[in-house]
Amino acid sequence: MHIPDGFLSSRVWAPLDAVAAPAVAWLGRRAQRGFDHHKIPLMGVMGAFIFAVQMINFPVGSGTSGHLVGGALLSFTLGPAAAAIVMTSILAIQALIFQDGGLLALGANVINMAIAGVLAGYLPFVLLRGSRAGVFLGGVLSLMTSAALALGELSLSGVPMPRPVLVVSAGLFVVSALVEGAITVAVVGALEKIQPGFLRTPAASGGPAAVALGAAAVVLGGAGVFAASERPDGIESLARTAGIWSRAGSLVQTPLADYRLGVGSLAGTWAGRTVAGLLGILAVYVICRAAARILGMRKGAGAAE
Amino acid sequence: MDSPLHRRHAAGKAIAGLGMLICIASLGRPAWRAAGAYLLLLAAGTAAAKLPVPRILLGGAVVLPFAAGIAVIAAVSGDSERAAMVLVRAYLSSLTTLLLVASTPLPELLAGLEKLGAPEFLLQVMQFVYRYLMVLREEAGAMRDAAASRAGTVRVLEFRKAAGAAGVLFARAHNRAQAIHRAMVARGFEGRMPALRQLPFRMPDAVFAAGTLAVAVAVRAVLA
Repeated sequence: MHIPDGFLSSRVWAPLDAVAAPAVAWLGRRAQRGFDHHKIPLMGVMGAFIFAVQMINFPVGSGTSGHLVGGALLSFTLGPAAAAIVMTSILAIQALIFQDGGLLALGANVINMAIAGVLAGYLPFVLLRGSRAGVFLGGVLSLMTSAALALGELSLSGVPMPRPVLVVSAGLFVVSALVEGAITVAVVGALEKIQPGFLRTPAASGGPAAVALGAAAVVLGGAGVFAASERPDGIESLARTAGIWSRAGSLVQTPLADYRLGVGSLAGTWAGRTVAGLLGILAVYVICRAAARILGMRKGAGAAE
Repeated sequence: MDSPLHRRHAAGKAIAGLGMLICIASLGRPAWRAAGAYLLLLAAGTAAAKLPVPRILLGGAVVLPFAAGIAVIAAVSGDSERAAMVLVRAYLSSLTTLLLVASTPLPELLAGLEKLGAPEFLLQVMQFVYRYLMVLREEAGAMRDAAASRAGTVRVLEFRKAAGAAGVLFARAHNRAQAIHRAMVARGFEGRMPALRQLPFRMPDAVFAAGTLAVAVAVRAVLA
């Protein structure tokens, strides 16, 4: 899923780099807030752990094996901002030392895996209050989001995606996402047995409204990806990137409205739908956080009185 | 390692490398002469860095298997020129990164990136990832060997056993991080890693960066 240099066209990697750089800077400040400097060694060593844990093979089916990708696990244990920074530093080391993923494509990879992947993994965990279902969905969504974004970026860059290729890769992504979910649940379970207290079970923030919103977002985004992988109509049109760009432009302005109303007009573009679903998740996530913060502030004010 | 390229300031090399990468990434339709010129330029840089040229040229090819997959799809859908250019761009970009990293020790490179405005916090975390990468991989390998010596073969552990191993590794890494932090505090760490040597950014570094950029842009403009 690490996109090398040479695949993305300039109009894809340049804006993504431009967005990723300030986002990482902001996340870095956020990760540092409220913690002393012991975070730096902790985050570095946990990054090295993610490299090391990939040596442990998990048997999947007959003869094949998978390994933990870890974005979701990191967000459960370190919090989303710190997890995003750890994943970013992993991606940077991989690009520099292991030639795994490009330097110009680093912004795209960071957005796919370190930012969107980690947030998408953290969302169900928070909403389901750290339950097993939340952990599983976190692992699944984190990988699915990263994969869908990477595929969307490649097709926006004009990499041809004939139908069979798309069906096969979508199938592979779903399978590896389910594997990631299962591994994450198993590792979290083992961790709780060995040494409880690693999971930062989120305080019940929000309330039923936030849970409903979040569940809706997960269902919307998930359904978008699934529906898209089941009905990959009009994929040939993906090569005509200009068309997608203008549509994507209108999507950015009013993501939710377009997503609801746009089922007809967007039905042809697989990328359009997936992007819409993901933007929906993102928007709802932001709304959830804002709502939780406002509710939290009210509660705090009430307690003070 | 010492060579004219190793002696250049990491910030200058990073600027030159990024400029090369951008020029290579912007090669659109078939531009064989420009691609050849970049290859020659990179090979000359490798020779100037006293690095083994054939090995570096081969090392850049690690991206090709993945690139080839996509190139084959493009070729099958009738766009063989695009397919070839994807391969060329991927290879040249990988070669550029390889040359940059091979001629710059990572701590120096990170210090150079900091000078260019990369967030310090992220760079410090990267230093730790780099430093403990091999330590933890060795630990995972030792755990695997220990399990193998107790239970025979562990080519693929059972799912739950594998999860247990991953959990143990996580807990060990976490505890290790705390021990490292205590040791660092005991040695006077206050949230900043001191740099052992600060290389000054001198005139030759500026000339090198500007020269490489100029050549890269000229190749892009004239030959492509």
